[in-house]
Amino acid sequence: MRKVSHEHLLLIPLVLFVGLFVFYPLSCVVAQSFVGSRGELTFQHYLNAFTQSRFVTPLKNTLWFAGICTLIGAVGGTFVGLLASRMSPSLRNFLLSLYSIPMTLSSLVVAFSFIVLFGRHGVFNILLSRYLGLPKFNLYSWQGLIVTYSFYNIPLMTLTMAAVFLNLDKSVIEAARNLGAKPWQAWVYIIVPALAPGFLAGVSIVFAGMLAAFGTALALTGMAMNLFPLQIYSLVSEGELNLPQASALAVMLVMVIAFSLFVLNKVERWLKPEAK
Amino acid sequence: MKRKLVWTVIERMLLVFLVVYIVFPLLVPIIFSFSIRWTDIFPDGFTTQWYQKIIARPMYYQGLMTSLLVAISAVVVDILICVPAAYSINRLGGRVGSVLREASKTLPLIFPPIIVGIAFLRGFNRPPFVWGGSLFLAVFAHAALGFPFMFRNVLAVFQTIDERTLSEAAASLGANLWQRFRYVLIPNVIPGILSGALLVFAISMGEFQVTIMIAGFGWRTLPLLLYRSLIDDIRVASAISGVLVTTSIIAFLGMTLISMRIGAGKLRGVERE
Repeated sequence: MRKVSHEHLLLIPLVLFVGLFVFYPLSCVVAQSFVGSRGELTFQHYLNAFTQSRFVTPLKNTLWFAGICTLIGAVGGTFVGLLASRMSPSLRNFLLSLYSIPMTLSSLVVAFSFIVLFGRHGVFNILLSRYLGLPKFNLYSWQGLIVTYSFYNIPLMTLTMAAVFLNLDKSVIEAARNLGAKPWQAWVYIIVPALAPGFLAGVSIVFAGMLAAFGTALALTGMAMNLFPLQIYSLVSEGELNLPQASALAVMLVMVIAFSLFVLNKVERWLKPEAK
Repeated sequence: MKRKLVWTVIERMLLVFLVVYIVFPLLVPIIFSFSIRWTDIFPDGFTTQWYQKIIARPMYYQGLMTSLLVAISAVVVDILICVPAAYSINRLGGRVGSVLREASKTLPLIFPPIIVGIAFLRGFNRPPFVWGGSLFLAVFAHAALGFPFMFRNVLAVFQTIDERTLSEAAASLGANLWQRFRYVLIPNVIPGILSGALLVFAISMGEFQVTIMIAGFGWRTLPLLLYRSLIDDIRVASAISGVLVTTSIIAFLGMTLISMRIGAGKLRGVERE
């Protein structure tokens, strides 16, 4: 026990690192979001963010975009997760391993693959127009971005939901059925409440990620799609340099993400059977 | 019976579709990078000239070297921070550990790359820290992005071994803290360190969002070159994408192997008891 105090010295690198490379720069962002052009204290940048349409529109777009992407990811991931939970263990491990690869994949590589597959002269579009006579799929549009980002979101949600389905206690469902519950009753009163917390945890990860996503969008459509993170990026890149405004938008983005996570977490806790 | 058969067929087809959905986008850059052209449905010919091009041109070769240097340095930084910290936090008891593990999951969501990028831009471009555009800053930005993953992996392994008993046994034989780390603890937690290292390496190699915000004029990583070449040279883009996909897949296979080894190791431990 006498060494305990020495051993806590081992936390020093962590504390230094987090202090210097996390807290310090983040506090600079917060501080500078309140600094005006002549160095005075101002709320102008936040006012701009709420009143100027060039900032309000992208925020609305991003909320919609993240919502739709999350919905598709959630539905797709739940479906694949359910299928995976019904497979034999070896097959399931194989599929889930495969579905964890996109997580580490560079956003630009995904952009490249989707350009080759779905771009103007992409393989998929040649098939569509030549053999089916259908109009081409436009990758460089909102739909295109949604399809591309689903390549991240569906696998992410699949991993969560497969675990949730596997942890589902089947004996409780059987007990309910034996006590005379109809299938829909078993779903409404047993299965859905049991799945909901894990589902919401997955949804939070996807939604938070999508609120801040801009890499693939930048590579595919440049600045054409008016997303909030892209707006922040354009304010710090050479084109239109306005760092204090970008800082204010960044603080707002953190607030929006934190608020969404907070709400989803509250709902998740409220639904958890043992918390009731 | 017939209905069951139909179901099996549908399930098989679905499985094939689900596998293709992930595998195909992963294979596209690799196939493209080894083909002479791919302008129609199927690619034409076999060539390695696009890879030769990225090795022969100093710009791309330096990009590859820069990416490797940044990724390896970020891994080293994360190991040096996380291994001692995980040891200490594990000793503080389960509650602190579980709170911090939870935090390491939530914080990257609240502070995503766009925020890390702008924070590094704002924090390190004026006194007291004027490191703007330096490669050093890129290393620490990548280390900051990867560090929750390294921390979680290492702490998880620390929590599965009986660190106190091992340390006490080593201490009773006269081992000091350093010797306990070197000969007892690190060999026991090496799977966690290795899988964390592979994850941080893969994240750093493919990182684009923060890097493009903090990049200096003197250096470019592979994803930055890929961003440019997506517009001007799709062939070079395919070769860079090929390198990056292969890195991800290798890192991922390594992690799978390690987790299988951990499973096997646990079984062996049980047998010995």
